[in-house]
Amino acid sequence: MRKFICGLAVGLFIAAWALAHIGAQSPRSTAGGWITPDYNVRPITDATRKPAPRRAVAGTWIPFGRYGVATQAGGVSSRPNNGRPENALPYTPYGLELYKSHKALEGADAVRPAEGNDPRNLCEPLGMPRANHYNLNVTQFFQDDYKVAILYQYDYRWRVIWTDGRVLPKVIDGGVQIGDEVREQRFFGYSVGRWVDDTTLEAVTVGTMPEDRVWLDATGRPISDQVRTTERFRRLDNDTMEWSETLDDPKVYSKPWETMKLTMRLHDPRTDIMEYYCSPVEQANYNKFFANPASGK
Amino acid sequence: MSKWSVVALLASVVGLTNPMPLAAHHGGAAFDAGKKVILKGTVKEWLYSNPHCLLKLEVKGADGKIVEWIAEAQAPNVIFPAGYRRDSFKYGDEVTITVEPVKENQPMGRILDATLANGTKLGRASSAGAITEP
Repeated sequence: MRKFICGLAVGLFIAAWALAHIGAQSPRSTAGGWITPDYNVRPITDATRKPAPRRAVAGTWIPFGRYGVATQAGGVSSRPNNGRPENALPYTPYGLELYKSHKALEGADAVRPAEGNDPRNLCEPLGMPRANHYNLNVTQFFQDDYKVAILYQYDYRWRVIWTDGRVLPKVIDGGVQIGDEVREQRFFGYSVGRWVDDTTLEAVTVGTMPEDRVWLDATGRPISDQVRTTERFRRLDNDTMEWSETLDDPKVYSKPWETMKLTMRLHDPRTDIMEYYCSPVEQANYNKFFANPASGK
Repeated sequence: MSKWSVVALLASVVGLTNPMPLAAHHGGAAFDAGKKVILKGTVKEWLYSNPHCLLKLEVKGADGKIVEWIAEAQAPNVIFPAGYRRDSFKYGDEVTITVEPVKENQPMGRILDATLANGTKLGRASSAGAITEP
């Protein structure tokens, strides 16, 4: 009888698991050696934990947790834009004015698709720090003796964090100053990193685009060209890395605040990454067939 | 019943209550939140495109008239893990989809789930209710 009950229970579990996951998560495909991401990786345990390598962040990383955990469609992960008091941001008067001028398709003040003014829907580059907050999924890190390159899945964009000891540029009006030269503002800014210890890389980014070109997140929160973005990549063990970010933007926010603290899991370096892009042609097609009529236009 | 039998039965329940939601892309302001419409129809076109996939489906109404519905799904890379592929919907396929309709009085919505012509069931392909940020 005991064996029968155990067998029945195991059978029920398998059936229940299969039912719950049909359509939610298919097993990853390895067809022809084209390995797709595995979103069902098991948590690291004491038995499977390997020590973190020294001063190394290279690898193919995916946010750990349920699928889509770092999409951040509802706003930056540490403080989503959901109207809750604890997630209210410390806007300056100018920052609040900027936020109200943004018509976002997500968040507490979302508008209908054809009414938005998100620069993303014009296929503008997201830049830093928004690249960290827009459908963050499979992310590749490459590293050599002088730099770390981060390759984002969305729009196949990449950025470089210099780790060779160079000086962080000074932010000036409309650009940055490097030595006696003035350089242009950039969507991904100028990033310099240093190893805080053997497992923690801290990167600071400045010199990004002005507030009429970029947003912080999909809910229309603003960011200015005065922002100083500090990221920490802390290797917890061989397979896990914590990726956190703090903003200091006195033009828009009255005090620094943490935007995200994600746990990333190392994946098979052979993982093939699907394209995820912004095409003006396809966007126009979508607007014509769906966004405009769905907005009553 | 031994303690392991109890654990196994509890695990069964956990398995049933452990859905894994998809990601979001565009907002929900256009949609009639919580409302569901089940559509059985014939595939006219499946656009596997960004920022959203679009399914055009001809549906016969109670009055016998054919209405063309347009249902959106998330971008290809987002819905791929849920099983949606470039050839999931082919011209002429008879399929069933559940959509969350738009607020405007239009035959439009976003796909919540689908049953393909071969009987394969696919889950959430839109952001409706999928995001529960911490």
